[in-house]
Amino acid sequence: MKAVFYYFERDLVKWLRGRLTVISSLVMPAAWLVFVGLALPTKFTDNYLEFITPGILVMTMLFSSLQGGSLMIFDKILGFLNKFLAMPSPRESMLYGKILFIGVRGLLQATVILLIATLLGVRILNPVHIFLIYLTLFLFSVFFSALSTTIGLYLSDHDSYSAVNSMISMPLFFTSSALMPYEVMPAWLRTLARLNPVSYAIDSTRMLFEGEIPVHGLIGLAIGAGIMVLLGTYQFRKAVV
Amino acid sequence: MIEIRKLSRSFGNLIAVDNLDLSVGNEIFGLLGPNGAGKSTTVMMLTTLLKPSSGNAKVCGYDIERDSKKVRSKISYVPQDMAVDRKLTGRENVLLYAKLYGIPNRNSKVEEVLEMMELSDRASDLVATYSGGMRRRLELAQALVHKPEVLFLDEPTLGLDVSGRKKIWEHIRMLKAEGMTIFMTTHYLEEAEKYCNRVAIIDKGRIAVVGTPENLISSIGKDASLNEVFLENVKTPEEQAGFNSTQFRNLLRRR
Repeated sequence: MKAVFYYFERDLVKWLRGRLTVISSLVMPAAWLVFVGLALPTKFTDNYLEFITPGILVMTMLFSSLQGGSLMIFDKILGFLNKFLAMPSPRESMLYGKILFIGVRGLLQATVILLIATLLGVRILNPVHIFLIYLTLFLFSVFFSALSTTIGLYLSDHDSYSAVNSMISMPLFFTSSALMPYEVMPAWLRTLARLNPVSYAIDSTRMLFEGEIPVHGLIGLAIGAGIMVLLGTYQFRKAVV
Repeated sequence: MIEIRKLSRSFGNLIAVDNLDLSVGNEIFGLLGPNGAGKSTTVMMLTTLLKPSSGNAKVCGYDIERDSKKVRSKISYVPQDMAVDRKLTGRENVLLYAKLYGIPNRNSKVEEVLEMMELSDRASDLVATYSGGMRRRLELAQALVHKPEVLFLDEPTLGLDVSGRKKIWEHIRMLKAEGMTIFMTTHYLEEAEKYCNRVAIIDKGRIAVVGTPENLISSIGKDASLNEVFLENVKTPEEQAGFNSTQFRNLLRRR
């Protein structure tokens, strides 16, 4: 299981050395928070910034988890996958390393968002709630990064992956409860938003910001993440021989 | 070290490897053949990256399907692609492999293989600054860090300049002298002739001939080369289609 950490370390060091990618991944969510959270003249809620912060947090995790599938695709295209598959360390440790890296990278982004949100006046929470927010976001990230990495194992074409990615990520985001409360949604959108797994994470995070503990949300996310990891493990184990 | 029995692999209708029988001892063994002959497919089956459609093979006494994990712990595989992390240093690239293989005293072992591949003085530089030849040697260093019994090399000298190729071959010879078995594919027949203990020429997934380069050459005639042995045994797609090069040249001249 040490191999998981070594694969994680490899991706992390490579990411940190590409300074531009680090900066861009931190600027994008901050821009959402400032330009949408502060500037949009909405009448949905009393404090729109406070309302949208959980949405931006989950959105950031969603986008970076889905985009994380390209890590696997590049490893495959560039020949790293074959070299790693020919090694005796368990093949699924590659998957877990990717999940861990994508999750940690997402949580770093989330930290930046939380800091900016606090500076902009979103209420400061107690440590238990902050920890549970991180847990919620991480479980959510595990679900989507396990999915995207497993998809990456089977695709060998980066362009079609990013096409599929942008095709599902934007609709998932806009049909969630990120931008507006259920009450002001049109009925058709409300139905979609209730079914959308992204809403689960957003509603749970929102409850945590309000000082409640979303027991059902957390259990649901943990079950979803667990199932996705099991499916991914199975696929990686049977990867070729 | 390697025993291949009636190994076959097909992709849909295409039979890439067709009832291959081959046994390789402690030697430098070269698998030669035209593009698409089934060389890489064979190597990928032996390195447990691809399931055979039928037949079986043993590497270091372990079955490639039933004991695939044992096989993986005895071998190293360097594919054609030159997959080394550009944003890591040479040392970090080798260290990753030492960690993944769980090598004891890994730091000294890493320095040892870097030294062996003559990369010590550049080990702290990012791989992005390495030449093609250095990257290939770095891949060899990665592959050697756990002292494999069999080393699989897919086109190890592809795309390197003359001195780079010579260096790789010298290293391969040195590894053989230390007792390692080397199973490789190549397109450079002069190199195979000079450095391989035995070669096999495969075409359309079947072995055409196998033997020492000297024996194969002398069976063709004096002063021949492995190139002629190759052309004798391998039909190009053009020849099969009835392509006549003289006719083609005349056609071009007329225009």
